[in-house]
Amino acid sequence: MASREHLGEFEQIVLLAVLRLGENAYGVPVRHEIEKRTKRSLTVGALYRTLDRLEAKGYVASWFGDPVAERGGRSKRYFRLEPLGARALRQSQKALAAMWEGVELSKVIRGS
Amino acid sequence: MARKFPALIVLLFRLRFLRSAEYVLGDLLEEYNAGTRSRRWLWRQAFSLLLPGTRDSNAAYDQPKGAMNMTYVSSFWSDLCYAARTLRKNPGFTAVAVLAIALGIGVNTGIFTVLNGVALRPLPVHNATEVVSVYQTMKGLKSRNIHGSRNFFSTSEYVAYRDGNHVFSGLLAYTPFLQVTLGGDRPQQLLGQLTSCNYFDVLNAPPALGRAFTASECASEGAGPVVVLNHDLWRNAFGSDPEIAGKKIVMNRRLLTVVGVAAQSFQGTEPVPAAFWAPISMQPVLEHDFNWLAKDDSSWLVLLGRTKAGVSVERVRADLGVIAGRIDQLTPGRKTSLQIATASFLGMPEARQLVFGVGAVLMAAVGMVLLIACANVANLLLARAAGRHKEIAIRLSVGASRARLVRQLLTESMLIALLGGALGSLISVWSFQGIVKFILSHLPHGTPPVIVNVGPDLGVLGYAMILTIVTGIVFGLAPALQASRPDLNSVLKDAGSGLVGRSGTGGFLRNALVGAQICVCMMLLIGAGLLLRGLYLAQTIDPGFSLKNVATVSFDLRGLGYDAHHAAVFNRQVMERMAALPGVDSVAQTAVTPLSDSHDGTTFSLPGQPGQRQVEINSVTPEYFSMLGIPIVRGRNFTEAETTAGAAVTIVTETTARRFWPGEDPIGKLLAQPPSPAKQVVGVARDTQVSHLSRSNETYLYLPAGPKEQLHLKLLVHSPDVFASTAKGIQAAVHALDPDVLADVARLEDNLEFWRTPPRIVATLAGALGALGLLLASIGVYGVVSYAVSGRIREIGLRMTLGADAREVMKLILRQAMRPVLIGAATGIAGCAAVSRVLSSMLFGLSAHDPLAFIAIPLLLLSIAMLASYIPARRATKVDPMVALRYE
Repeated sequence: MASREHLGEFEQIVLLAVLRLGENAYGVPVRHEIEKRTKRSLTVGALYRTLDRLEAKGYVASWFGDPVAERGGRSKRYFRLEPLGARALRQSQKALAAMWEGVELSKVIRGS
Repeated sequence: MARKFPALIVLLFRLRFLRSAEYVLGDLLEEYNAGTRSRRWLWRQAFSLLLPGTRDSNAAYDQPKGAMNMTYVSSFWSDLCYAARTLRKNPGFTAVAVLAIALGIGVNTGIFTVLNGVALRPLPVHNATEVVSVYQTMKGLKSRNIHGSRNFFSTSEYVAYRDGNHVFSGLLAYTPFLQVTLGGDRPQQLLGQLTSCNYFDVLNAPPALGRAFTASECASEGAGPVVVLNHDLWRNAFGSDPEIAGKKIVMNRRLLTVVGVAAQSFQGTEPVPAAFWAPISMQPVLEHDFNWLAKDDSSWLVLLGRTKAGVSVERVRADLGVIAGRIDQLTPGRKTSLQIATASFLGMPEARQLVFGVGAVLMAAVGMVLLIACANVANLLLARAAGRHKEIAIRLSVGASRARLVRQLLTESMLIALLGGALGSLISVWSFQGIVKFILSHLPHGTPPVIVNVGPDLGVLGYAMILTIVTGIVFGLAPALQASRPDLNSVLKDAGSGLVGRSGTGGFLRNALVGAQICVCMMLLIGAGLLLRGLYLAQTIDPGFSLKNVATVSFDLRGLGYDAHHAAVFNRQVMERMAALPGVDSVAQTAVTPLSDSHDGTTFSLPGQPGQRQVEINSVTPEYFSMLGIPIVRGRNFTEAETTAGAAVTIVTETTARRFWPGEDPIGKLLAQPPSPAKQVVGVARDTQVSHLSRSNETYLYLPAGPKEQLHLKLLVHSPDVFASTAKGIQAAVHALDPDVLADVARLEDNLEFWRTPPRIVATLAGALGALGLLLASIGVYGVVSYAVSGRIREIGLRMTLGADAREVMKLILRQAMRPVLIGAATGIAGCAAVSRVLSSMLFGLSAHDPLAFIAIPLLLLSIAMLASYIPARRATKVDPMVALRYE
């Protein structure tokens, strides 16, 4: 069933951010990455709710690092893209690419 | 790194997620400490996770900018707006509900404020939470001199705790009350404290003027003839003399040097403000013939310690426990346990128990009023919810979840509770300060002034908040659950709801609430009625002797260094001078003035009878009986010779004679109390209520006021003249003999106030609460009946079309309305009958089941309930059948 579910836009963004960051994918950099590239701000609440959901679907995995002094002795929660998530991303990419094929937006934009 | 992370966020996170979201806190901390983010940003981030119901929600899949958490926020916000709108649209309902809750919460907060001010609030000193009080309870001791309370410490015990502990930065000791006579042009009696020399240092309350005590002033007995004055005393008695430090004043005829004046805000560490502070080393000097200081077995000191930083009460307990164990070893059999708590004005365990006992009764009474208010508002809500059945049914049927509906209805009741709570707290803050001031200023003669700080503090605020929230849930939950569970089918079809004479499932709950209100109200009112009747008795009761035109005169000779011999000389001269005053026709001496709050007692054995007899005693001169109009019914009065010699004779009361020697002639009988010679009964006096108002059947006997009692005797002066001029004459006479002696002159009738004040305060309180409860309950009855009537317009119309006349309809409605009222009333009467005995000490002989109170009050309450249901019921009979049948 899971593979037939489509990823939402925000889910794709989050998965891509995790993928881009690789080893360093935990809360703060993930959010920075998204804010930097998409130019929109998001709250930790929204981010973690999405990550929790993606983990429940098996798209990402997470684990805790060692406690860090600058974080008041709290550890980081790292994320990693799972094969299932990679496949879902590929599917979304394909679907979008198929939809984009032969479409010309500039005419419409100029016309308005 | 230096920025402060709000602890509240951590707390909220822990409350919401326990420790499962620590990594999120870590993220927030990391970013916040990087310095680029504002506090506002931080709070927004925190709230994006904190708002309940958001984290696990998977209703919406893909919403950037954290929009998903807005579903809850916006639903809460829209609930709130909706609630505010509905409340605004029903101003009548809103006003009644908010007012009811405000009154309920107001009295509760008010009483709590007083309790808080008396017993809970920490001492008004710097870092008061560091200061702990230490009391002890000792078991297995053969003898112990008690001066104040058995929970106090001796000097040597204080020194052992002070020098042996590892937990205090300082441990002080003081004796709570020392009465002295301040000498000078106008002598006055003062209550002060004797303190260890570190007192002001440990409390961190430096004097405003001059200095505190030095250690050397406590080094040995009498080493520190110095005193620190209370700011008020300095202003009133010394005219705020800025050069006071170094001057000498006279206390109990001893010269003391003033070294300082305390800060204006500092009144000592007891509820009664201390007028002065002197070193404990001065105790034997100021109290002449007593020495507590040097005795290892006297309880006379209270201990307060300031803990070192970070030391918990548990550690203090453990550390001092070791010292207590060491002290126990010195006396075989002794077992000491310590009571350690954060210091407050009311630290003494016995006093705390008393105040908490009284407080519990009060809180129960005001809690009942709040309960009535809750039941009332719940009822109003139920009635209103019934009117909204259709709206709710539609919302349910188009897919609203029940939880969602309950949440919305609860938002509404919470809003009412919050409005009521805020209003009530304001009312209580305003009114109770006045009430407390009023009560304190009407205490009986001789009661020392007490400080009760009834200003609101964080504790009061927290209490009001919690009470408000609990209240909102209590009165909102049942109606909300009830309303959100309608039978969709029948409500939507509106079938028969007007024809069937029952108002559905809500009917039982509503009736039960009315019954409960009436029950609680009945208990409060009967209680108030009993107390008022008792008060009336206390005002009119004949104590069996005459209090009129008698002045009581008391002075503290012992504190001024008199011994028994000098006191006898002084007393004789004073009595001669008083007898010579114009208008004075008789002067008597007595150890205890009639109906005062002090009592002397002892035990005798009767020759030929087994066991010991407990008797209350009083030492008097012969004039006592004639002045107070107490006849000697058998035998004779004391003679002058017997009083001067302190002869072994006694006069017993009739009851005593009957109890000790039933059926025999008491004259000539003996009362033995070895080793003193047996006392022979020479007379029998009529029973009177000299000891307790309304109680004359006690064993009571009189002894001649002999030379040994001279230090403790008071004078009774009878004069038909105006009291003020007599008092002036008496004071002048005493002053002429010894200018240092301060005579306290009062009316004997004032002693009655001592008995009347407690019932007066309690009756006023109970009456006010009862009236409040009555008001609330009648609003409740009115609301329920009028709701029931309006729901049955159609049925009534039908009945009237079919031939029922208005009277029958009225009877029907009243019968149904009064059923829960009657059940509640009966329960209330039974409940009150079961517990009214607790009031008996304030009823002055009135039976705790006084028929007048138990019949008149229920009649009153029932007729008011009747009226409350009659008004809406009358509306039903005015119904035009045609209109009613067309209704809906």
